[in-house]
Amino acid sequence: MVGDFSLFTSPGMQRIPNGDPHEAVARVHAGPPIFYSPDNTRDGRGTWLITRAKDQRQVLQDPETFSSNRSIFASALGDDWPLIPLELDPPAHGVFRSLLNPLFSPKRVIALEPSIRARAITQVEKISASSNSCEVMKDFAIPFTVGVFLHFLGLSDERLDMFVGWANRLLHGDKAQRSAAARAILEFIDELAALRRKEPADDFMTFIVEAEIDNRSLADKEVRGIGVLLFVAGLDTVAAALGFDLAHLARNPKDQELLRSEPERIVLATEELLRAYSTVQMIRVATKDVDFEGAPIRKGDYVSCATMIANRDPVEFENPNTIDLAREDNRHTAFACGPHRCLGSHLARREIIIALEEWLSRIPHFRIKEGTAPITYGGHVFGIENLVLDWS
Amino acid sequence: MHIIVRNAKCQGHARCWSQAPDIFKLDEDGYILPGNINVAERDEFLALRGARSCPERALEIDRSSDHITNDGVS
Repeated sequence: MVGDFSLFTSPGMQRIPNGDPHEAVARVHAGPPIFYSPDNTRDGRGTWLITRAKDQRQVLQDPETFSSNRSIFASALGDDWPLIPLELDPPAHGVFRSLLNPLFSPKRVIALEPSIRARAITQVEKISASSNSCEVMKDFAIPFTVGVFLHFLGLSDERLDMFVGWANRLLHGDKAQRSAAARAILEFIDELAALRRKEPADDFMTFIVEAEIDNRSLADKEVRGIGVLLFVAGLDTVAAALGFDLAHLARNPKDQELLRSEPERIVLATEELLRAYSTVQMIRVATKDVDFEGAPIRKGDYVSCATMIANRDPVEFENPNTIDLAREDNRHTAFACGPHRCLGSHLARREIIIALEEWLSRIPHFRIKEGTAPITYGGHVFGIENLVLDWS
Repeated sequence: MHIIVRNAKCQGHARCWSQAPDIFKLDEDGYILPGNINVAERDEFLALRGARSCPERALEIDRSSDHITNDGVS
């Protein structure tokens, strides 16, 4: 049951120019539906790899058998505390989730829309006024998405570069860089929590330090677990999605023209782009020995549910490798499923829709700049860099 | 048409609501309100689309009885 596919080491997963890592992972569907991948984490650990959407749904909906309790961030520091709610299992998970859900509900996101849109417009107008070309990640996707997120947390844009640097080193650096970045983020969050205890403001960290669960305030570890998770989770996932989306539109002029001439299609198209260019791999830990669809999973084994694999499952999606911006009945799991469904999904989705709307209405027909090549990569969070768009 | 709502499976994706906000109502957390949903004939197209958009399979389309009233089963 050992397979040779890995999201880290297989062809198409390394940093390569003009890569298509999503198409590369889709090839696993030609093989066995579940297999053991001996080198499928950043640290070279093995995981079971669940390829079918139906099986991933079963794993992710069963937290009793497949736990999220890994302390992955803390373990990089030699500590042991969970990111909250990501690394908690029910029932503790539900307590924190109920606390945080209203802050990220669809209705709350509707209320945030005007300020998000204003931010997008400012960014795009700055770009269109100054040039006929830009590096979309650095000039638009990252400052826009990280700016929205920092504003949400109650932080100003001034230190945006520093935060993005931490996130890059945490997600893509070597072991020493990861530890240093984790330490920096942790100290920052602890200091911010202490500051908001002394000087409350109308922001997320104030909400957290003042929050109560089960008639008590949150413990320092809990405040830290929530703060660090929110900080890390919001820093590069939406930007990566936006990068892949704009690269797709640059390379597919018909799709670009469709959304340009009929912008009301952007909402539905965003779901298809989320499906086709999903970026996150979820990992669970088996809490007991279990024979799962014929696979002898043992207690402690890692189980990988990669969104970009389930979302290219031909049983779930007709012609999964055809990107059809008018696709209906699109039950993709770009935001995972089960109790850990991405808390920020409604915010993320809205950011992408707004970014595409404002970009397409202000930037004329664009393409990948001649002589340049975007760099793509696989791993825990797929990404794209050096995406130079040109509309001269 | 009738939609069986399996509340315990709802994880707040809100995809049903985004397709048909007048048919699928959410609570303050963004999760579906309990209770099965009777769908008027004129709303069937949108209701089907909403039910088929659920990544958790929390919404089941039931055409067997068009006369059952909303019984609050969850």
